[in-house]
Amino acid sequence: MSSQAAAVIGIGQTKHKKKRDDVSLPGLVREAAQRALDDAELNWTDIDAVVLGKAPDPFEGVMMPELSMADALGANGKPMMRVHTAGSVGGSTALVATHLVQTGVHDRVLTVAYEKQAEGNAQWGLAGGRSGGMGAGGIFAPWMRTYINKSGAPEDIGWKVAVKDRQNACKNPYAHLHLPDISIEKVKESPMLWDPIHFLESCPSSDGAVAMVLTNEAGAKKAPRKPAWVLGTAMRSELGTFPGRDTVRPQAGVECAHMVFDAAGITNPREQIDIAELYVPFSWYEPMWLEGHDIAGPGEGWRMVEDGSTQITGDFPVNPSGGVLSSNPIGASGMLRFAEAALQVRGEAGEHQVADAHVGLAQAYGGAAQYFAMWVVGSSLDAVGARK
Amino acid sequence: MGLTRPPRSPERGVGGGWAPTCGGKPERVLLPSTVPADKRLTTHTIEFPYTRTLGPVYSAFLTGMRDGQILGIKSRDGRVLCPPTEWDPNTGEGLETDFVEVGPGGVVTTWAWVTEPTSKHPVDHPFAFALIKLDGADTALLHAVDAGSMDTMQTGMRVTARWKADRVGHITDVEAFVPEAAK
Repeated sequence: MSSQAAAVIGIGQTKHKKKRDDVSLPGLVREAAQRALDDAELNWTDIDAVVLGKAPDPFEGVMMPELSMADALGANGKPMMRVHTAGSVGGSTALVATHLVQTGVHDRVLTVAYEKQAEGNAQWGLAGGRSGGMGAGGIFAPWMRTYINKSGAPEDIGWKVAVKDRQNACKNPYAHLHLPDISIEKVKESPMLWDPIHFLESCPSSDGAVAMVLTNEAGAKKAPRKPAWVLGTAMRSELGTFPGRDTVRPQAGVECAHMVFDAAGITNPREQIDIAELYVPFSWYEPMWLEGHDIAGPGEGWRMVEDGSTQITGDFPVNPSGGVLSSNPIGASGMLRFAEAALQVRGEAGEHQVADAHVGLAQAYGGAAQYFAMWVVGSSLDAVGARK
Repeated sequence: MGLTRPPRSPERGVGGGWAPTCGGKPERVLLPSTVPADKRLTTHTIEFPYTRTLGPVYSAFLTGMRDGQILGIKSRDGRVLCPPTEWDPNTGEGLETDFVEVGPGGVVTTWAWVTEPTSKHPVDHPFAFALIKLDGADTALLHAVDAGSMDTMQTGMRVTARWKADRVGHITDVEAFVPEAAK
């Protein structure tokens, strides 16, 4: 599909917080975008097109924000579009921007995603503007329970993921939750929200934004900092309900993973990927996606958690940034995975940098686990080949 | 087990189904015929109050409104934008907080007459929505003009702000603009 290489040359994000009451909604988005431009040492006028993503409009009650944000994103007189695929939107937004570069339509594309959850109420928005919705946790809890029953995973696996991601977040200055005293005991004793999910096994509600600048090979060569090369992209969707649907291991997730691995030339994901940023809003989704994307075999995902493989020092670090469990500006959460994977292969992740990270996988999912978006990024165009 | 609907007093007059909790066949209970058809509906309104964070520019603009002052902002090319924007519309650059007081008088650049105002309109009798280029500004502000009759309205006419006595920091702190001569 791709006719030319694309690379990330600028990354910016805001400090994610419960409430950013010091900036307007466009001001929040602008902050991340300006940081991405500064990182790429580009000006607003250097950008050819803007691709914006966010979750449903009722979350903040601002309808069609892509129109009112045009001047905040320097998009007057330029192509601007908005992408929407529920919680995976940050990922698919980055992919649309990537494809605009790969197909040669534009040379430099700014892509931005955000949510300002404090302005509204996501649970209310998810319920289509009605009270009494079961919330995302209510939808996913029975599927997590099914995973536990099928895989025979011990109950402390979820607690371990919750602790690991919060410990990682302490190394990430942009993360919303900084809980240095987190412990298995605290997670286990926190209130049960949706069985099997305790309060501390669930994501927070955050205000935040993230942005990236994507360009082609010529642009990447001129970039002031090391680019992250896009080695493969994939998106897949399926219906949220149909007879026989495997909700624990949705087929769209399996196919999306195989498509992105094939595109990047990955034949053994566990060995060839150095770091993964996966969309884990509830602790059990870490082992579920490891298996659901064929990184681990059936029943093996939880063992990777148990033996420490997914720790920042393990052989397959998952969410060194702290992940969605530590920061959840919903529309931005998917793109944060993509941006964090890119930061890792650029070697610019700071204190949460994984040693020798050359190949990174990012994944976002949305809706009733029915939209998937993934990319593989590398420190060079040959990063996967160099692994073999 | 099916749920049996309790008998209802005609005054309640609320329709709607009643599902069994589990198993069993739902029992259909007919509404008493004494309930008039127009009372078998009820409306249920739920409102969710959203929050708006204003940021540095809109905060200053609305604080100005509260203080009886209309503020514009200087763009990079030296124009005065009112209402003010956070970013330069031409270059996308951030605008410094270079505020300029404008108005309260100005010129109507275009207008549309509202013959039958609704409860949501800013004026309770016929009025015009108009774009008003305030003195000292290079762009126009959308507001209401209370001109009495459509015959008074003209593109190019001069108007001035009629402020509310109790101002709260809202665009409606100016009740409406009125023809300058009438003030």
